[in-house]
Amino acid sequence: MMKKGLFTLFLFCLIMVPLALAGGSQDAEQADGKVPITYSYWGTPDEGAAVQGVADKFNAGQDRIEVEIMSIPHDTYVTKLNTLATARSLPDCGIMNEAGVLQFAENGLLADVSGMYGSGDSKPLESITFKYEGKPVAYSAANEILVLYYNKDMFDAAGVEYPPVNAENAWTWDEFVDTAKLLTLDADGNNAKSPAFDPMNIVQYGCMVENLTWQLEVWCLSNGSGFYSKDGSSVHINNPAAVEAIQKIADLHLVHNVAPLSAGLTDDGVQRSLIAGTCAMTTNGAWNVGTCLASAREEGLNYGVAVLPYMKEKVTICTGGPNVVFSQSENPEEAMEWVKWYSREENSWALIEAGIWMPVLEKWYTDEDLIRKWIDNPNFPPYEEYKPAVVDYAREYSRSTAWYYVNNTVDFNTLLGSLLGDVWTGAKTAEEAIDDGYTSLVAAFRGDG
Amino acid sequence: MGFQGLSFSAKGIRSRRRQEKAANAATLVILIILGALVLLPVWWMFRSSLMTNKELYAYPPDFFPDRWLFSNYRETMKYFPFFRYFANTMTIILPSVIGGTITATMGGYAFARLRFRGKNLLFSLCVGSMLVPTVVTLVPLYIMWTRGLRVVDSYLPLIFPHFCGGGAFNIFLIRQFIKTIPRELDEAATIDGAGPLCILVSIIIPAIKSAMIVVALLLFIMLWNDLMQQMVYINSLEKYTIALGLQQFKGSLGTDWSKLMAATCMSFVPGIVFYLIGQRYFVEGIVMTGMKN
Amino acid sequence: MKAESRAAWICLAPSIVGLVFITYLPLASMFVLGFFKWGKGAPDPVFIDLENYIRLFTADPFFKDSIKVTIYFSFLAVTGSMIYSLFIAMLLNRRVPARGFFRAVFYLPYVLPAMAVFLGWAWLYEANFGLFNYILTGLGIEKIRFIADSRYVVLSLALIAVWLSGNLIVIFLAGLQNVPKVYHDAAEIDGANGWQRFRHVTVPCMSPIIFYNLMMALITNMQVVIPALALTNGGPGNSSTFMTYLMYRYAFISNQLGYACGIAFVFFALISVFTIILFATSKSWIFYEGDSH
Repeated sequence: MMKKGLFTLFLFCLIMVPLALAGGSQDAEQADGKVPITYSYWGTPDEGAAVQGVADKFNAGQDRIEVEIMSIPHDTYVTKLNTLATARSLPDCGIMNEAGVLQFAENGLLADVSGMYGSGDSKPLESITFKYEGKPVAYSAANEILVLYYNKDMFDAAGVEYPPVNAENAWTWDEFVDTAKLLTLDADGNNAKSPAFDPMNIVQYGCMVENLTWQLEVWCLSNGSGFYSKDGSSVHINNPAAVEAIQKIADLHLVHNVAPLSAGLTDDGVQRSLIAGTCAMTTNGAWNVGTCLASAREEGLNYGVAVLPYMKEKVTICTGGPNVVFSQSENPEEAMEWVKWYSREENSWALIEAGIWMPVLEKWYTDEDLIRKWIDNPNFPPYEEYKPAVVDYAREYSRSTAWYYVNNTVDFNTLLGSLLGDVWTGAKTAEEAIDDGYTSLVAAFRGDG
Repeated sequence: MGFQGLSFSAKGIRSRRRQEKAANAATLVILIILGALVLLPVWWMFRSSLMTNKELYAYPPDFFPDRWLFSNYRETMKYFPFFRYFANTMTIILPSVIGGTITATMGGYAFARLRFRGKNLLFSLCVGSMLVPTVVTLVPLYIMWTRGLRVVDSYLPLIFPHFCGGGAFNIFLIRQFIKTIPRELDEAATIDGAGPLCILVSIIIPAIKSAMIVVALLLFIMLWNDLMQQMVYINSLEKYTIALGLQQFKGSLGTDWSKLMAATCMSFVPGIVFYLIGQRYFVEGIVMTGMKN
Repeated sequence: MKAESRAAWICLAPSIVGLVFITYLPLASMFVLGFFKWGKGAPDPVFIDLENYIRLFTADPFFKDSIKVTIYFSFLAVTGSMIYSLFIAMLLNRRVPARGFFRAVFYLPYVLPAMAVFLGWAWLYEANFGLFNYILTGLGIEKIRFIADSRYVVLSLALIAVWLSGNLIVIFLAGLQNVPKVYHDAAEIDGANGWQRFRHVTVPCMSPIIFYNLMMALITNMQVVIPALALTNGGPGNSSTFMTYLMYRYAFISNQLGYACGIAFVFFALISVFTIILFATSKSWIFYEGDSH
């Protein structure tokens, strides 16, 4: 019995090995004489299906280029691209994580895209153009800014006024903390201002300010400093203003008891806070409207959107994953054509309509008809909230996240994130942590860290 | 004091039995408690897979899902073609396991039975290779396969290494097994004029079948979990393995936790099935080695 | 003799190919690459002498901590899993009902896909609303930030490693069944209590197996990379930056291949030292019965 089984397995194996080897053969030349282009993409399977749909449309619309999607899990995207680059087998083009763009440009892995938009074309916003040594190397495919989300029912229950939607009336930091105190409740229903408040038994927190490293930059800017100098030529993270801003975020949990502990490691801040029903306010990216808040609203979450509170300056940061063309491509012209076509709003309309992406061209922020077309839809918060708190805010108050003009942000943010781990738990002050790591941070910024 | 064990009075025996009983009952209680603790994370993942994302984040956490959403599994299957990925994974695992088991058996046989020059040196090198983690050799190997041999997006780099001895640990294990087989058996065959290879096939292999099953199981589990290498070598979606497919649920802008957990629970099944099939051999197999040098 | 050595080389051919191409050549190339700058500003390798090593031991903000963390974690995980698995194996060795079931339960974690296991644990460990903290709050104990607090993070990860050590249990169990009952009976007649019997009968008889498991546990736990990858990103602070994880990060995230190879070589040296120490001291405490058949 046993012998027979083993023998069958052995035969099976003999058949399988050549099959497995055959699996490695290169895909054949396109039968219809089209130039094959590979476009790499991250994201969940349903996002991937949407991208595939757009590519199919492109392929059907002309007879020179055939785009194929290469799907890579987001968590391993950078790892994978780096190994592909090492092996000189990068795709022709692909979406790229913001933090890695300049590093790729430095290694000569990105094709020059300055010729992509002619003089007659309406160009993407300046604030979302990646520049290496002053030249554009990539344009973001989407625009994203940071905003404040809040749970209206919790505000109503506490009898507190909603956060302002206009940047002109934005809360100061102290007003924000004060409001958060009113919304922080213990098991007996006392809020954080009441003398009977029991901080050991909190059932509802007032806020959670997202402390993923890159998002912290907005608070350093808001306090009049930033991670780097304005031109990105030196590190400013040790400025008293920047340090103070970070300490203020940590103190929400450590001193005021109005926020849960967040380690700043996971990207599910909105789910963990607002959707879980454990926090009344949270700060995060505009994409959350589409990725999780729309479906949460269907399940009964009554949420609103507002502008961020400010420390000294009213500011938000913008970012967005760019589409790049890799220099290893044998058909950069065709790849660029696809990327340019793909960047047109109508082609990413599904993502824009869902509330996941914001458009990149200036006209969508100024032309009232286009704005209506974009945000007058059931996936979004009401027009009178979203228009001032997101559209106008993005146009007038947003600054580029540092990775648009500063290299080595991957290493810098990794190091900063690990230094701040002890700050969130209160084991160190922000000042101690940043002073301890300052030399290393500068080394990372210079590219030898 | 030291003669309690020798007391032959009925009372003594009864009390010993009672002690034994009490000890067994205590053992059972401890096992149940510890077993429950061990199963807790597994149960947690399972119950998470039957919830909405909102429920997942609820506080206080629920031990049981509200509605037992088995529909999560249907939804998940839409984006996580389990059987497809399973077939792919098996395409890697089956040849690797067979190749690994056979070559490990051959290697173990040589180290256990045959005399040749350089045996000790080779054996030390073999043990030494246990110390080299995959992460260390990943980059050079990757470059060798892609730049050197121009093999891209193929299972070959994942399978081929297992046709080269199946890992030092397994060679070592087989060697220990063969050492427990009385030499008289092969000496008898040698007198009949059988060569060493003939002895391996006709005498040794039938005698250590269970050991080979153990090796196969160990290889199976190792390959099942080998995310790092699969991620590096596999490019196209249609070649994805289970481990890679699980990664997909973590998107660029958030994670669909309940679907991820559903996919995770599905991916438990093959491992458990293989364990149950192999359990008997596992226990019996390792008993025979005696682990003696 | 000639036939024998020819057969040996035939049998070992696959293993030798593996040792050369899969282990030692990549290891050697890694050693060479450690003297080059490659990636991140250097698309092709540039020879820079000892610069990588100088930077490693003087300027690197993670490296010194990573050595500490790796040793600390290995110590916790190895001692923890050895004690736990020996304890469970001894319980399972008694005559309790449903032994097969319990054996499967304790072995189960080892079979599950590693990445999924860590994701599941992330939920249990969550600092504010995770299950463990919910239980602690219920008991009136202050919340513990399991993986968000640099004081507890290694301990928390080691706990998962202990939970995963099902394979050690199986091997111990096999060994326990091999301890001759005669010895236990003799000891009992001499009036030895349970602890003394364990100390003077079980441990010496089991010593080859204890050694074997110790070696396996040490090698696997020193090479650990997934927990940092799946749970903590090496934080908070550098408190869970294992050497293998650091290597991974330099090689694949910030793309400094040459530098990563430098780290890899130091790591290999470290793990070799520990294994050699283990082997060297083993002679003094392992009790061999000789090659009994």
